[in-house]
Order: sequence, then structure tokens, then C-alpha cells
Amino acid sequence: MNTNMSTATLTSRLGGLLMAPVNLLMRVLDIPLRAVQKAAGIGGMAAVFLAPNMLIFGIFVLLPLVINFVYSMTGGTAFFLSEREFVGAAQYERLFQCANYLDPMSCQEDAFWTAVGNTFWFVVLQVSLMILTALITALILNRDLAARSFWRAVFFFPVLLSPVVVGLIWKWILQRQGLLNFGLYQFGVEPYTWLTDRNWTFVATIGVSLWAHMGFYALILLAGLQAIPKDLYEAAEMDGTKPARVFWRITLPLLMPNLLVVVVLALIRAVQIFDEVYVLTGGGPGTSTLYLTQYIYETGFASALRNPGLAAAASILMGLVLVVLTLVQLGIGQRGEKKGKR
Amino acid sequence: MGEIKLSDVNKSFGSVHVLKDIDLHIKDGEFVVFVGPSGCGKSTLLRTIAGLEKITGGVIEIDGKRVNEVSAADRGLAMVFQSYALYPHMSVRQNLAFGLENSNMPKNEVAERIAEAARMLEIEPYLERRPGQLSGGQRQRVAIGRAIVRRPTAFLLDEPLSNLDAELRVSTRAELAALHARLGSTMIYVTHDQVEAMTLAHRIVVMRAGKIEQVGTPLDLYNTPANRFVAGFIGAPHMNFLAGEVAELQTGTATLTTSGGHRLLVPFSGHSLSVGDKLTIGIRPQHITLANDPGSLKVKVRLVEALGSETVIHADLNGEKLLAVVPGQKQLSPGDEAYFSVAGAPLHLFDRNGLRVKGS
Repeated sequence: MNTNMSTATLTSRLGGLLMAPVNLLMRVLDIPLRAVQKAAGIGGMAAVFLAPNMLIFGIFVLLPLVINFVYSMTGGTAFFLSEREFVGAAQYERLFQCANYLDPMSCQEDAFWTAVGNTFWFVVLQVSLMILTALITALILNRDLAARSFWRAVFFFPVLLSPVVVGLIWKWILQRQGLLNFGLYQFGVEPYTWLTDRNWTFVATIGVSLWAHMGFYALILLAGLQAIPKDLYEAAEMDGTKPARVFWRITLPLLMPNLLVVVVLALIRAVQIFDEVYVLTGGGPGTSTLYLTQYIYETGFASALRNPGLAAAASILMGLVLVVLTLVQLGIGQRGEKKGKR
Repeated sequence: MGEIKLSDVNKSFGSVHVLKDIDLHIKDGEFVVFVGPSGCGKSTLLRTIAGLEKITGGVIEIDGKRVNEVSAADRGLAMVFQSYALYPHMSVRQNLAFGLENSNMPKNEVAERIAEAARMLEIEPYLERRPGQLSGGQRQRVAIGRAIVRRPTAFLLDEPLSNLDAELRVSTRAELAALHARLGSTMIYVTHDQVEAMTLAHRIVVMRAGKIEQVGTPLDLYNTPANRFVAGFIGAPHMNFLAGEVAELQTGTATLTTSGGHRLLVPFSGHSLSVGDKLTIGIRPQHITLANDPGSLKVKVRLVEALGSETVIHADLNGEKLLAVVPGQKQLSPGDEAYFSVAGAPLHLFDRNGLRVKGS
């Protein structure tokens, strides 16, 4: 009894001690906040509390967006806006000046169109493979496996790595004196320059990004699979439904909301691919793995002939694509909510 | 045909033994209800018959054929799930057709069967709707319809009314009974509601802790429960139990004394009792009457529930609870003293192990 009482007293004292600075701060803040409330009114206090966050959002998101748009209307290599001349839509015109859009070399800004083409194929292949592998992984992880939690963790761990680390790991594996060649050499296979072969680097960027992000999408799909009531499968079993028909007629339609979210998220992420590829291949060899974000980065900051205006224009165009994809995602989300309510 | 025979059926989940030595013979066309408290194994028993759970011992036969190794689909049974298990992305028509399409049935026959079931269950107006657009009762009908279209050997129904409100449950219960009469198929029905069991079943299987306690017609179970558990489970409100002792034995009767010293005369023709034996005396609340006779059981009224047509009296008899359901409306209040008479009431005697005393 005594021990209990003393524990309770100790807890309350400790709590009091910990709360002391908070209480002090509240008292100090109380005086100016009362004054603010008097001026703004109770209704206006919501805006006062939101203001710091909105300020940060404004400075770091909205303002750069506007500045970026203004940059896209200016020309020259100068970095400060005040030293740049207004050129109107010239940067956009330059980006779109092409004899044949399917042939980047016929365009004035051939690197941009090469990057667009590379990004397009990267997105198409990476997203398709991503959906396929994430779905297969989720279906396997949803089964009654031994050490299921372990396998789920194994597939999810790469998601926790920073993209630069992912790029470095795979560089160590794929480079000429890397782990892969070492392994192959043990079996008598001649070492190969995986990261300097145009075709292999493209495949490598897709493979590495699959490895790094697949766990995240598999997890979303796994959650969707687990939300499908077991009864439905038992009803199908009683009806003598074959496994393939169960998959196509029951699992897939019921997983569709999750699958759509995964498709859109994977699309948005694939369009923005940059860091791991930049570390792994640097966009090379040549321009074989030059994707849009890297083109923007190099045009704006890294290349000798830097052109911040052109980079800004390209980033605005990429932003528009992302806006469309995000709207699609929002639309899917709202449709899902409506269905859920019904 | 729809004859189902279970012999010495056992089922374990790991180290947990959930079905113990189940022997049961269900005749063709019979409506059998598995009843028991939550966790007694009744749903598991149904699922083993369905083929959704593999048994760990014993034999299951359907129409004389051993089906232990036969898949759920090939047993020729149809199941109605507690949650209905309707495919939410398919229309009612597609839900009904799904199972039939698996067997590559000609389209016109599928349509014919759906039309017939829809007519029988009055779900024709909803055929193009999805389950999400139906009420609980309508969904329930669709779930039954999905079973009917398959024309199964037997229907397995796992608590099919538990998701319906009280009023709908009563009307659907009557419809189910009518449906059984019309189809004439074997039906096995799982419920924890003994009123459902009493009203629907030809025979009731009372289960507890993975074992069958008693199998019999509803009135068999009500009139001659095999043990104290069945006596307490069947009948609402539950049977009263009083501690008693055999005071005297004469030819054809036994005189018992309750813990309060009251003497009760019970018809008894067996040889299993001796003077001094400790017993439990079971009295159904409906068999107790109010009396003015000071020789009856003197009780203290604790609570009175006036239901209009009858009055439920919760009373205290020397520390033992006693419940009486008497017809009509009675002017009694908590704290009143009253006399309960059990003269002429069928009394149930259970021995120390809770088993019915033979000859009582």
C-alpha cells in the first residue's frame, strides 16, 4: 500500500517537474496571446495559429514556384533575377522547337527531348514492372508462409534507405570491379562493364528503382488483400471456383482501389526519378539514362552552359504532368470515399 | 438425397481440441440445428461438414460415401455464411450465376435457375443491383438464393439471421421454415439462439466445449433434458436450479427437501436414488404458480417485470435465486413476500455430475 502511494506521489512529482517549463512557457505566451486575441477576435485566432505553418509553406513552396515561373520567362546565364532579361515564352518555344518530336536530334533542345523520351520509356517499363512485382510479392506475402513477418520486413527494408545509399550500394555491385562481376568470375564468366553499356544501364536503373521502392507498393497492396473478407474466398471454394478465376473475378476487382492508388503513386514517383540514377550512372553512358529531373538539374546548375530559364521552363512542364497525375489520384481517392460511404 | 453421417469426428487446431468424438446421423430432408454457447465448436462442426476445415480424426459420409478427402466444391453442399459473403462488385444476378458458371452450365439453364430462385425468394426487382445497394434482409435472401441455384444435396447455414434486426429475424425465420418445407432438402443450421433452434428444428444438437451434449426433437430437449447444461440452455427464461436432498423414497414417489427445508414430492420410479443423496432440482419458470398456501415455497420478491400478458418475478428463496413466469398481471413489488407453488409441476432431477436421474 505504502509502496503504491509513494510511487503515485513520485509519478505526480516527476510529472510536475517535467511540465514546469511548459507551464512557464504558457504563462509567458499568455500575455501577448491575450493581446493578439483582443485584436484579432476569437474567430481570427485560428488564422493566427495557422500563420507560422502557412508562412513556411509560402516561403519554401509557393514562393519558389512563383519565382520558378518568373525564371522561365527570363533568359541569359546570370543567376540573380534582377540581372536577367525578360524573354516571354522564348524558353518554352525553344523547348518545343522540333522538326520531328519523335526524333530528339531534330529538336533545338535535343537533350530535353532525349530526357523526355528516356523518362517516358522508364516510366512505362518501371511502373508496369513495379505493379507486377509488387502484386506478385503481395500475393505471396499474403499466404500462410513460414516466417511471414520476416519476409515482409525483407521486402520493405530497401524502402527505408536513402536514394543516394541505394545508388551507392548498386554501384558497388554493378561496377567493373564490383560484387556481381566478382561473383560471375567465380563461375568462370568474364567480367562485364554493366554500367557503361547503354542497354544494361537503362535496365539497371529500372531494376534498382524497382528494388528500392517495390516494398512500399507491395505493402499497400498487401493491406488491400488483407481487407478482402475471407468468407468471399470460402464462398468461392464452396462454388468450386478455380484459383485463376478467383484471382481475376474476386481478388483483382476488389484490389482495384489499392491498385489504382499504387499505379498513380508509382507514376508520380517514376516521372521524378533522379537521385539513385544520378549516383549510379550519372545519366550515362552518353545520354542513355538521362531522365528529366537530371536534365533540369544539369541545365539549371551543373553544366558549363547553364541556362536557369530553360531549366525553369522544363520544370514547369514537368510540374504540369505531375499536377495531372495528382488530380487523377485525388479523383480516384474521392471515388473510393464515395463508394465506401455507399 | 442428403443423408449425412459423422462417426467419431475429431478436429484440433494445433494443441486445441475443438471437436471431440462427434457421432451424428442426419437423415435426408431433416432440418437439424446445432446450438450451443459461443466457442462450443458448432460453426467448426458445420465447416468440417462443408469441407472448409479438414478433420483430424473420424469419418464424414454424405449419402453413404466417405468425403473426408473430397474438396468442398465436390461435396455437393451449399453454404450460407453469417456475413452472407456476397461478392460486392457483382450484381445480384452475377452473384447467383458465379457458382453455376464454374461448372460451365449452359447459359439458358443458368438464367432459368436464377429466375426460379429469384421468384421463390422475391428478389426479382433487385437482380441488377449490387449487394451494397440492398438492405440486410434482401442480402440475406440473395445469400440463400446463391445456395438454392446450386440445387445442393444439403444446405449449411451458419448463423444466417444474426445480422438482422429482431423483427426481421422473426419473419425470416418463418420464411426459412417455409422454404425448407418447399424444397424438402436437408438443412443444417448453426445458431446460438435457442428460440431459433426450437422453432426451426426437427432435431436439435446441443453442443458444449466441442462435445455433443444431447440430440433430440425440440420438445424432447425441453421435457427431458439429458443433463443440467441442456436443461439450462433450452427454454427461456432459463430453468431454475435448487439444491436438494432425498428425504424419503416410496413406491412411485420421492420426497425431497430443499436447502430451506421445504419438502417437495416428485414422481420417481427408478432405483438410482437413495435416502440422503444430494441432488439438483430443476424447475422451469413457467411451471411455477403463485399460491396463498403457507406450505408452498416462501420467497422474497426482488424484481418484477410486467410484460402485459405475463409477469416475470425474480425472487429469493433462502439465498437461492428463483424465477417465475406467471400468466397475467400481478400486483407485486420488490420486497414483498410471496408463495411459489410447484405442486404438479414437472421437476427435473440431476445428480452430482449434472446428469439426469434415471426414472425421474
